[in-house]
Amino acid sequence: MTEISTAQKLEAGATAVSPDVRISINNLEFFYGTSKALKGINLPLYANQVTAFIGPSGCGKSTLLRVLNRMYDLYPNQRAEGEVLLDGQNILAGDVDLNLLRARVGMVFQKPTPFPMSIYENIAFGVRLYEKLSKADMDVRVEQSLNRAALWKEVKDKLTSSGLSLSGGQQQRLCIARTVAVKPEVILFDEPCSALDPISTARIEELIDELKADYTIAIVTHNMQQASRVSDHTAFMYLGELMEFGHTKAMFTRPQNPKTQDYITGRFG
Amino acid sequence: MTAVTTSSPSNPSFDPSFDRDDRKRALAGLRFGDQVFAFFCRAAAIAVLVILSGVFVSLIGGAWPAFHKFGLAFFVTEAWNPVTDNFGAIAPIFGTLVTSAIAMLIAVPIGLGIAIFLTELCPPALRRPLGIAIELLAGIPSIIYGIWGLFFFAPFLQQYVQPALIKTFANVPVLSTLFAGPPYGIGILTSALVLAIMVLPFVTAVSRDVFDSVPAVLKEAAYGLGCTRWEVVRNIVIPFTRVGVIGGCMLGLGRALGETMAVTFVIGNAHRISGSILAPGTTISATIANEFTEAVGDMHTSSLLAIGLILFIISFIVLALARLMLMRLDVKAGK
Amino acid sequence: MTMAFDQVRYRSRRRRSALTMGLCWFATAVGISALLIILGTLLLKGFGGLGIGVFTQMTPPPGSDGGLLNPIVGSLIMTVLGVAIGTPIGILAGTYLAEYGRHSRLSSVVRFVNDILLSAPSIIMGLFVYTVMVAPMGHFSGIAGAVSLAVLVIPIVVRTTEDMLLLVPTPLREAASALGMPRSLVIKQVAYKAARTGMITGVLLAIARVSGETAPLLFTALNSQFFSTNLNAPMASLPAVIFQFALSPYAEWQKLAWVGALIITAAVLTLSIAARALSAKGSK
Repeated sequence: MTEISTAQKLEAGATAVSPDVRISINNLEFFYGTSKALKGINLPLYANQVTAFIGPSGCGKSTLLRVLNRMYDLYPNQRAEGEVLLDGQNILAGDVDLNLLRARVGMVFQKPTPFPMSIYENIAFGVRLYEKLSKADMDVRVEQSLNRAALWKEVKDKLTSSGLSLSGGQQQRLCIARTVAVKPEVILFDEPCSALDPISTARIEELIDELKADYTIAIVTHNMQQASRVSDHTAFMYLGELMEFGHTKAMFTRPQNPKTQDYITGRFG
Repeated sequence: MTAVTTSSPSNPSFDPSFDRDDRKRALAGLRFGDQVFAFFCRAAAIAVLVILSGVFVSLIGGAWPAFHKFGLAFFVTEAWNPVTDNFGAIAPIFGTLVTSAIAMLIAVPIGLGIAIFLTELCPPALRRPLGIAIELLAGIPSIIYGIWGLFFFAPFLQQYVQPALIKTFANVPVLSTLFAGPPYGIGILTSALVLAIMVLPFVTAVSRDVFDSVPAVLKEAAYGLGCTRWEVVRNIVIPFTRVGVIGGCMLGLGRALGETMAVTFVIGNAHRISGSILAPGTTISATIANEFTEAVGDMHTSSLLAIGLILFIISFIVLALARLMLMRLDVKAGK
Repeated sequence: MTMAFDQVRYRSRRRRSALTMGLCWFATAVGISALLIILGTLLLKGFGGLGIGVFTQMTPPPGSDGGLLNPIVGSLIMTVLGVAIGTPIGILAGTYLAEYGRHSRLSSVVRFVNDILLSAPSIIMGLFVYTVMVAPMGHFSGIAGAVSLAVLVIPIVVRTTEDMLLLVPTPLREAASALGMPRSLVIKQVAYKAARTGMITGVLLAIARVSGETAPLLFTALNSQFFSTNLNAPMASLPAVIFQFALSPYAEWQKLAWVGALIITAAVLTLSIAARALSAKGSK
């Protein structure tokens, strides 16, 4: 109980610095069947900031991320209770249109997931769902999106080749471009660099830093250095509970909770 | 191309805003299609169940007059006489069971032998081509087996194999009845041999797949103890895969029981039960194939549907057991 | 007695192993020879009769020459139609099993029933279609033949569709959903694309399977001596003609039966080799 109150205190402090809360998670509980994976989570995500979720495997950080676009709804026996407000609207409510929600809250996955089609189609595909664009407008959108993901220069001459022909790092940037193309407001990154080499990782991290100008970003990572490099706020989770939340710099230099200290200094995890 | 000239990181020409109402409208259009597709998928899945129940219902309905008239005697009567409208199912049931049993007796050891060869002995370069060759046996249409059996295999057996069998076992008590002459060529044994060839690829394919699923470390551990190849197969591979092998054999048995065209050509179509497996006989499927379109009386048609129902129930039970065994194996393998 | 190594026993174990492994070699030789003998007989008996006339002339009356045009056309029509009816149903049902109802009760029942239909005697399916179509209509017909083939196609396509869709990685589906894509589009545009090769293989195998089927056609399409594309009338098919001609006493008919057998086998084996090549390519 003391941990939660610490978190809430810090949250209040953080809110004072950056009051523009985009997503507000209130008393969130999550269940896989009967087992409880998230316990009473309270957490804000700030607009145009990067929030990192860290913690040892199985702590619930990915589960939390998958609540934010209700990805868990694809599976039976998974359910969430509590409240997640996106611009004041509870996205856990039954009448929420999931497809619309997911278009607003984009997601980039652990492993690159290019669709089995051309690079151009990978991007145009999602756009076409919502917008009827002329060929010229679509070309522009594809170029813009690839540019946004810093991939345009590398692929502009082979837009018709398969997305699967790219390297792992390029594939991941293609996935980011694809996500950006449908104009989301929030982007969720689920360990986006865990399958990539260090150079590709550095490029993705740069990209995340650039993207926060336009989007609210949440990233799950098991890499402490990455969290400290890319995020403005960090949430440390342990066994389904939020242990500590605060400014990344503060948390990495002066963690309030002994568990947090143990984890970020590498004593367990 | 003029729209984007900059590749600067913040890319100011990219406007991340959108029209939420547009998006809602687009999705509303898609939602109907989404529901229709989901509905059709579910309907198609249910259609599979409808087919099975349709088969049962139509066969039971068609067989009812015969069961009603003959009662339980239908199952034990040997007579099959369209002229007097007197029908009994025991001869085709007997033929079906005996041909399938002999076929399995031959196909299972050979099929297992091939599977062992392919997984344990075969040079890697030959594995695939030989495996495909065996699987092609399964691809050959059954009518080809029939015409081959009638014009090539049956004369061959009649000329060389059957006389030798008759002569060899002439003075051995039980076997002399089993192999009593004359050598017709066509008959129970010939059908069983053709069935054995047809079933072989099923036994081989399933056994090879389950043999391949034995963890290499397990076999290596046994070789490490100094086991010979046969001992590894006998004590590690076969016990580990027993359920799967039995499942595969039962799938093959399911095939053998219902096989029609190949048997129709070489069984001889005699509605009687003989002690000799060299004698002509009949099976359920051969009887139906031969007589159904020419059945004159309603009772004849109904009796044919009745033995069809019996065949379906027998193969249903065999196949259901096979599937249950293979499912148990999947659970064990954590699939 | 420090070296308790029993040479005699060891040698007998080696002998036993060599013997059983030798039997495995022998079993393989038996299997391969069966294939070679059957294909050899087919070529020997059928190849001589193969000529252009086979594909341009009708089936002859006993005692004269002719071809197999009408049964070839009939087989093509009924196979194409049967596959055209069975494939969509099979794909949709397979999609239900793999996508919508992966863990549902309905799925486990359908999966089980489908596996049974997959190996159920085809002659029974012929009887089934006879009682629900031919008997009520009062006559045999090509369309009933096509339906009986469709009933055989469905379980094959259901099985391969489900298997192939299950191989599509979950993250790919999640990624498509994460773009806000409705479920049906995720399936149709992403999962089907990823599973395409395997699904085509399944359809090819289904075509190979039904194009050689005889038993169900005997009671549905029956047979016909005439050229006919009328689906509402009895229709000739290669397997049925082979059945009729092979069991006849006429030399010309028997010869044509062998030619037909060669044609069917060549077509079926080509299809199944093509399917295998495709799936080998797809798995790379």
